[in-house]
Amino acid sequence: MRIPLSWLAEFVDLTGTTPEGLAETLTFGGLEVEAVRRPTSGTRGVVVAEVRAAAPVPGSDKLILVEAFDGQRSWEIVCGASNFGVGDRVPAALPGATLPGGLQIGAKRLMGVTSNGMLASARELGVGDDHRGIWVLDGDAPLGADLNEWLDLEDAVLDLEVTPDRGYALSLHGVARDIAALTGAALHLPEQEELANLDAPGAVPVTIDDPERCPRFTATLVEGVTVRPSPAVLQRRLAAAGMRPRSSVVDATNAAMLETGHPVHAYDRSQLAGPLLAVRDARHGEAVVTLDGVERRLDPDDLVIADAETVVGLAGVMGGAGTEVADTTTDVVIEVASFQPAAVLRTGRRHLLLTEASTRFEKGVPPETVPLGVSRCLELLTEVAGGRAVAATDAYPGRAERPVIRLRPERARRALGMPLADERQAGLLRAIACQVEPEGPALVVYPPVYRPDLRLEADLYEELARLEGYDKIPETVPASGTVGGRLPEHAARQAVRRVLAGAGWSEVLTFPFLGEDDIEALGLPAVDRRRRPVALVNPLSKEESVLRSSLLPGLARVLRRNVNRQTADVAIFEIGRVFLPPTAEDPGADAGAEGGVLPAEPVALGLLACGAFAQARWDSPARPVDVADVVGAVDAACRAVGRGPVVVTATDERPFHPGRAARLTVAGTDIGVAGELHPRVVAALDLPPRTLGAELRLDRLVGDGIQPPRPSTPSPLPSLRLDVAVLVASEVPAGQVEQAVRAGAGEHLTACTLFDVFEGEQIGPGLKNLAYHLRLDDPVRQLTDADAQAVIDMIAAAVADRVGGTLRR
Amino acid sequence: MTRPVDLDDIVAQARTAVSQADDLDALDRAVGSVFGKRGALTAVQQGLGQLEPAERRELGRRVNEARAALQAAIAQRRSVLVQERDRVVLARERIDVTLPPRTPKRGSLHPIAETQEALVDTFAGLGYTAITGPEVESDWFNFTALNFPRDHPARLLHDTIYVEPLAADARPQTAMLRTHTTPVQVRAMLAQPPPLYVSMAGRTYRQDTPDATHLPVFHQIDGLAVDTDLSFADLRGTLAAFARALLGSAAEIRLRPHYFPFTEPSCEVDARVPGGRWMELLGAGMVHPNVLRAVGYDPERVGGFAFGIGVERVAMLRHGIDDLRLLADNDLRFLAAF
Repeated sequence: MRIPLSWLAEFVDLTGTTPEGLAETLTFGGLEVEAVRRPTSGTRGVVVAEVRAAAPVPGSDKLILVEAFDGQRSWEIVCGASNFGVGDRVPAALPGATLPGGLQIGAKRLMGVTSNGMLASARELGVGDDHRGIWVLDGDAPLGADLNEWLDLEDAVLDLEVTPDRGYALSLHGVARDIAALTGAALHLPEQEELANLDAPGAVPVTIDDPERCPRFTATLVEGVTVRPSPAVLQRRLAAAGMRPRSSVVDATNAAMLETGHPVHAYDRSQLAGPLLAVRDARHGEAVVTLDGVERRLDPDDLVIADAETVVGLAGVMGGAGTEVADTTTDVVIEVASFQPAAVLRTGRRHLLLTEASTRFEKGVPPETVPLGVSRCLELLTEVAGGRAVAATDAYPGRAERPVIRLRPERARRALGMPLADERQAGLLRAIACQVEPEGPALVVYPPVYRPDLRLEADLYEELARLEGYDKIPETVPASGTVGGRLPEHAARQAVRRVLAGAGWSEVLTFPFLGEDDIEALGLPAVDRRRRPVALVNPLSKEESVLRSSLLPGLARVLRRNVNRQTADVAIFEIGRVFLPPTAEDPGADAGAEGGVLPAEPVALGLLACGAFAQARWDSPARPVDVADVVGAVDAACRAVGRGPVVVTATDERPFHPGRAARLTVAGTDIGVAGELHPRVVAALDLPPRTLGAELRLDRLVGDGIQPPRPSTPSPLPSLRLDVAVLVASEVPAGQVEQAVRAGAGEHLTACTLFDVFEGEQIGPGLKNLAYHLRLDDPVRQLTDADAQAVIDMIAAAVADRVGGTLRR
Repeated sequence: MTRPVDLDDIVAQARTAVSQADDLDALDRAVGSVFGKRGALTAVQQGLGQLEPAERRELGRRVNEARAALQAAIAQRRSVLVQERDRVVLARERIDVTLPPRTPKRGSLHPIAETQEALVDTFAGLGYTAITGPEVESDWFNFTALNFPRDHPARLLHDTIYVEPLAADARPQTAMLRTHTTPVQVRAMLAQPPPLYVSMAGRTYRQDTPDATHLPVFHQIDGLAVDTDLSFADLRGTLAAFARALLGSAAEIRLRPHYFPFTEPSCEVDARVPGGRWMELLGAGMVHPNVLRAVGYDPERVGGFAFGIGVERVAMLRHGIDDLRLLADNDLRFLAAF
């Protein structure tokens, strides 16, 4: 809502205020002013002049030489437009004048004649956007008057952002009332009068099918109007309020709406079949061409206005083109009505229409004050378009009880933490036109009809607080009585993030949207749940049509983007929800009182890397990232939460390379897979060759949260250290060999580190040699060479037994 | 038989050898020739046992004096030679310490996640426990329980991203990507009776085209306090404490009346940021009685306040970022700063 202050000042005394001060008063009083603007400011030296003569400039087919009389003398002005005639009064920017935006006007020669300034269009003066010709002013515009003073062009305009609960502020009356309540300024609002000429001859019959969606509808017949441009003062005001000046009739309806908050629509009486007006549901197959020229196919849920033959408007949203007021119109039917907010909202959204009328109806327009809208419109109409109101119809089937609120002042004081005495509370509410009557310790409050937002006691608390001033609310901090913090699994997640970042991985956050292609690229088997992603009804784009069931495609996008920007070495991770159809093991969250099924949303950890993990240095070459880096990162993450080590087994599942992937378990729980991506997946996702990754269930990895370390007591005696080497078939996994060594070494073993893997001619084809450093400890006894020999013998036996290997010493 | 004069000679010769030693090896050789197994002084010492007691005492005393004197001379010479050695040898071992260090490989933490956790920590300090809820939410939790009217604009396809129902018989538009973290408040209240002091951070979604100040996927942290005697003043004090934790002890806030379906009274809160400008920081209010009723609380007996903060806005403020898209771009050159 844009509020020209000169217009507002007709309804509330603004003496002594500045526009900026008023903006602050309103903003902190509940009506946020987004900006204070002066759209027509800066006009200097433009006067009202009369066209005394107009003749073509010799040699030009467009230019006209005008003799413009400013009341004292005539000026020769060259003009390119021809929409005016002798006797018209027009704005003349004489030499030395300035237009809004700073354009300086001087005398200049055109086609051999001197133009002493220029004649201005409405747009050149900042009034609306009409630039089709010179702005022809009222026939009785004061000759020679400075336009700046006559039209109040320095007027400030407040840009008001009105919240859904404060529909009353979509009117000058409503804003004036709040200013009066907040500052004590005097109000000058018209009293409501009953409709005149009710049901007089010629009255247009009105029917309402559903009083709930249309509680009240009035139609007033006005005969003998003249459709012409409105007076300049009204045009300037409408333009400042953000509405395009159109014609006397339309401008009168719009001005009445801006002032009273009641949307008004004018029908050309001669185009109405019947004539009658019916408020009803649209019928199947019906259509209407609205004022914007768009043919709209109607939904049976659309509330429409119809005449005897056809639909003539979308109720509360937009009128129809067929009954639009035209230049030749003489008789009009004026509609002022009240519609249910939800009905207007649904129709408006369905047809993607947000109009001045629908904006107001969506926030609630009370039926009780409809006559005020009518009478103000009729006043304006007869003033600017002439005519005479001859008959009115008032269909009012939807009379509703107004709510009564019991306010307990003591409770209000406690809820607000403000020491507001009972009398003060009553006074504040009376300032916004509530009727307040004491009843025992309570106050019985009757809100005014234009405040449908006031229904509950809590609604009054807000009024009390804003009227007293939010800045007067004290600051106290409650004692929660509880120790705040994170849930254990949440805290564990933070530990995982930190250890991964510390180990060289960069956290990314991607949008959780994928295309079907992204999932297809993973090459998952048909039974895999990830192939059944949760689809979006209205996705942002086709490439983002489903919710991610895997973190890998999103990570792939980030990796690709970085590689394309010449960041070749990438190691990234993401922690986030993935969305899967719920199962008994992985249920979705409770959907609440109305039932429903929600997807399972396990928290996943994804990693993806390519290029060098250790970059080239002056003293060492680059080392490409490999599976050990990825598994090591996961192992570090597990250890960070007091779990681990990660147990690795080879796996051949997609989207990973069948010979280069590891299934990972921690403390017996399967947490996911890490490895090199399958070359086909790499190709499908357009990744660099040998891209590696991991996809893990972080919820399973962190389990119940961080487990505090429970260390064993180290032996005070020196350890026994020895090395063993195992010769086994090449295909035996190192993990199995180590398990055999550990099993053989028995309870004294405290560390076992693989320090060499060798394959070559020296040891024969198809074999490999694995060498381990071992550390053995006993808590009470010094271990001896004899113990070492015993351990070696046992390892030899275990290796032979479990992996078919032999021990080399 | 060693004569006193012999001892003097030994000492004199040894002093000469020590003072003439020109490196540590030469000094060690000189020391050996006096104190070594076959050293001159060692020989004198070994001969002591064959002397008469009185003579032995006298000579022993002199040997000790000679040893002490020589050892002092040796130590002095050694110190000179060590310094000399250090000057030459260690100079030869010089390396270029300005070569790039071997900094352990380090990744980064995303600024949005870090800001979110910082906010969680701030509210943990005020006694709030961080909880979470699902990102795909039902209409009931996201809207109905929060007192949104049936036809509220937010419920339209225009603003909210809906998911296809998972159950075949489900009504359309019953599940959506949550538009705020506020539904987690409802889940928290359903899960436990008051008093309740919880925060809930996480992702939220809107139908929005990315630009400098809007993303379709963003983050929010809500706080909720429900207890027997909480007031609007408590809300204001809590938010002021939060602003001080976030922006420093001189931080100021101001409240503007506003509207949210789920709070009454409601407010928007501005904070004065460095430079003196007021910036909109968050929305807040007293929990609407209809919300309390929806979760089975009695609004006559308990009440509370709630607030919601955009994490991106705080991150932009913390890190001086002026385009939100940077936070969604995941360019490692940008992230490396964090």
